[in-house]
Amino acid sequence: MDQIISSLQQFWQFTGFANFAWQNLAMIAIGITFITVAILKEWEPLLLVPIGFGMIVGNIPMFPGMQIGIYENGSVLNILYQGVRQGWYPPLIFLGIGAMTDFSALISQPRLILIGAAAQMGIFGAYLLALAFGFAPNEAGAIGIIGGADGPTAIFLSSKLAPDLMGAIAVSAYSYMALVPVIQRPIMLLLTNKKERLIRMPAPRQVSQKEKTIFPIVGFLTTAFIVPSGLPLLGMLFFGNLLKESGVTRRLAETARGPLVDVVTTLIGLTVGASTQADKFLTGRSLLIFGLGLLSFVIATTCGVLFVKLINLFLKEGRKINPLIGNAGVSAVPDSARVSEVVGREFDPSNHLLMHAMGPNVAGVIGSAVAAGILLGFLG
Amino acid sequence: MNRITKRILFPLTLLILGGIQAMGQNVIDLKITEVMADPDSLSLVDDYGQRHGWVEVTNTSYGTVNMGGCYFTDDKSNLKKSIISKNDLAAQIGKRQVVVFHGSGDNTQGTFYLNFKIRKGSTIYLVSNDGRTIVDSIAVPTTLPAGKSLSKYANDNKKMNFVLDPTPSSPTPGSMNGDANAETNAQKMARTDPHGFILALTSISVVFCALAILWFLFWVLFERPAKKKKEAQAAALLPKKTTAKPGTVTPEVAAAIGMALDLDTSGEVYAAIATALHLYLSESVHDTESYTITIKPSEGAWKTHGQTFRRLPSTKKK
Repeated sequence: MDQIISSLQQFWQFTGFANFAWQNLAMIAIGITFITVAILKEWEPLLLVPIGFGMIVGNIPMFPGMQIGIYENGSVLNILYQGVRQGWYPPLIFLGIGAMTDFSALISQPRLILIGAAAQMGIFGAYLLALAFGFAPNEAGAIGIIGGADGPTAIFLSSKLAPDLMGAIAVSAYSYMALVPVIQRPIMLLLTNKKERLIRMPAPRQVSQKEKTIFPIVGFLTTAFIVPSGLPLLGMLFFGNLLKESGVTRRLAETARGPLVDVVTTLIGLTVGASTQADKFLTGRSLLIFGLGLLSFVIATTCGVLFVKLINLFLKEGRKINPLIGNAGVSAVPDSARVSEVVGREFDPSNHLLMHAMGPNVAGVIGSAVAAGILLGFLG
Repeated sequence: MNRITKRILFPLTLLILGGIQAMGQNVIDLKITEVMADPDSLSLVDDYGQRHGWVEVTNTSYGTVNMGGCYFTDDKSNLKKSIISKNDLAAQIGKRQVVVFHGSGDNTQGTFYLNFKIRKGSTIYLVSNDGRTIVDSIAVPTTLPAGKSLSKYANDNKKMNFVLDPTPSSPTPGSMNGDANAETNAQKMARTDPHGFILALTSISVVFCALAILWFLFWVLFERPAKKKKEAQAAALLPKKTTAKPGTVTPEVAAAIGMALDLDTSGEVYAAIATALHLYLSESVHDTESYTITIKPSEGAWKTHGQTFRRLPSTKKK
């Protein structure tokens, strides 16, 4: 009988209840909130469901040393987490993004590419703020990249510059990407007047297949020669796009944008979520990172809209750009372009801005990868 | 041609790429970074409890380098004096790894033993596995004191540019000869740019430049040719300009009339030609079109909202 009681007591030590801490409950609650929001509101469900469930997985209280935790060498979760830690997953996701992105909107109106550059000011604005709040330059760079509104880029850079902050940075980046419509709309309305919101832009020209095929090669050579440190992201992005546009590698393109990106998204979401163990995540620094992440989105959107207003001063009537597409320089594809469309149609239901906004939107993807390369070069 | 391409060119390309790969990732990245000729009582002891002169080699690359099959020598006329055993896992030198070879005079003692002794006044050569290419060398001074070594130092552990320090110093076998406490980029940035303005301004300028170059290239490669093509197409649609006044019978018009009359045609055709000529000569037809269609909206019963069959699209306000 004593042996049975002793065994039960021993078993109790291994249960989650015996190792429970309130921080675990807090993180599990956040995970459930993510899943709820993803299912009920359909905010970035492909990301928030795996991240939310990963948070629950990572915060089940357990007896340490059982080789099952994400931070325990050799455990299954730890092996899967290496894709995040070593930066394998983000370039693979970029391959998929390249294979699913149509750059026609950018090719037809190349002048819109500069909006994608202006919106990257959010990254460097957040970098300055993070330094002011006492973060080290490498940590500040990793936090700043949240403003690029690109989850894979944020994970890639933070895994290189500040691996300890990666969980908070990744969750912050993906959360704010899901909240793009909520964050951007008031800023866009605040910075534009009714006349500007009604600007109609000329229809983009038809882009030939030849142009689409040349684009990834020219784009890659240009950006990679300027910022070689962005090679993993830029190389995969443009390679994926070449697979799509070359017309002779349809099977590869379909795999890249379909099963491959699905598998990697599932793994990256789950492991990033699981990496947010309460003892490593629930800190004052994480809260600060969330605050700075929000500010970086605000700065990026503001700079994008104001930049369009600035260049409109130099453009002739009929060539002016609707400043409501300025927010799309933030590279949350295609969410921020959708916000431009929705806000534009609120004021003129027949003024469709989606195709115009896709130009700066995809330029933002290139811009944030370039910015990540620069930060890696300076701080890595 | 296809068969030739597949059978010859493809394997040839693979061979060339393989060759480049083989040269690229290996022994050229190895550097002799320290040497000692005369050990004292405090010097390094080998696996057999003996003290010998030794030579230290550093893999400066970020990849593993296989030293198997490479040679050491102190005699330039005999570059294959002491071979490092092939197919030995120990000869795989990891990234940034430092290894020491003992000059015991018997290389059968292990992977890291040479079959000659390190002598003062000699030069030690590391020879590639082809037996011909000297990868690196170090001259052992005749004045090298006992218990002291001659080292090459790297001021920047990242770049690994080793420079010989001519002053003999205390030996550090098996450890990196460089400033291990050298500042990281982030530390350097914290010191030189504490508020981050320089990095922020530089970075945003680079982002703008990169995307502006992209814009320029797209404009030159895609947008400008497309615009020119469009203009050319529009110009082709316009009628050719003529200096003659409308209604004048130019030689071209006369020739056209003549050709038409020469044809064996019916009375209706003659009548049609005559009508066309009459209209042309009396200037009662347009011969220059504006190519602009203007549709002015007009109010009508069909336009009223009550009579339209479907609602206009509108956004759903929450």
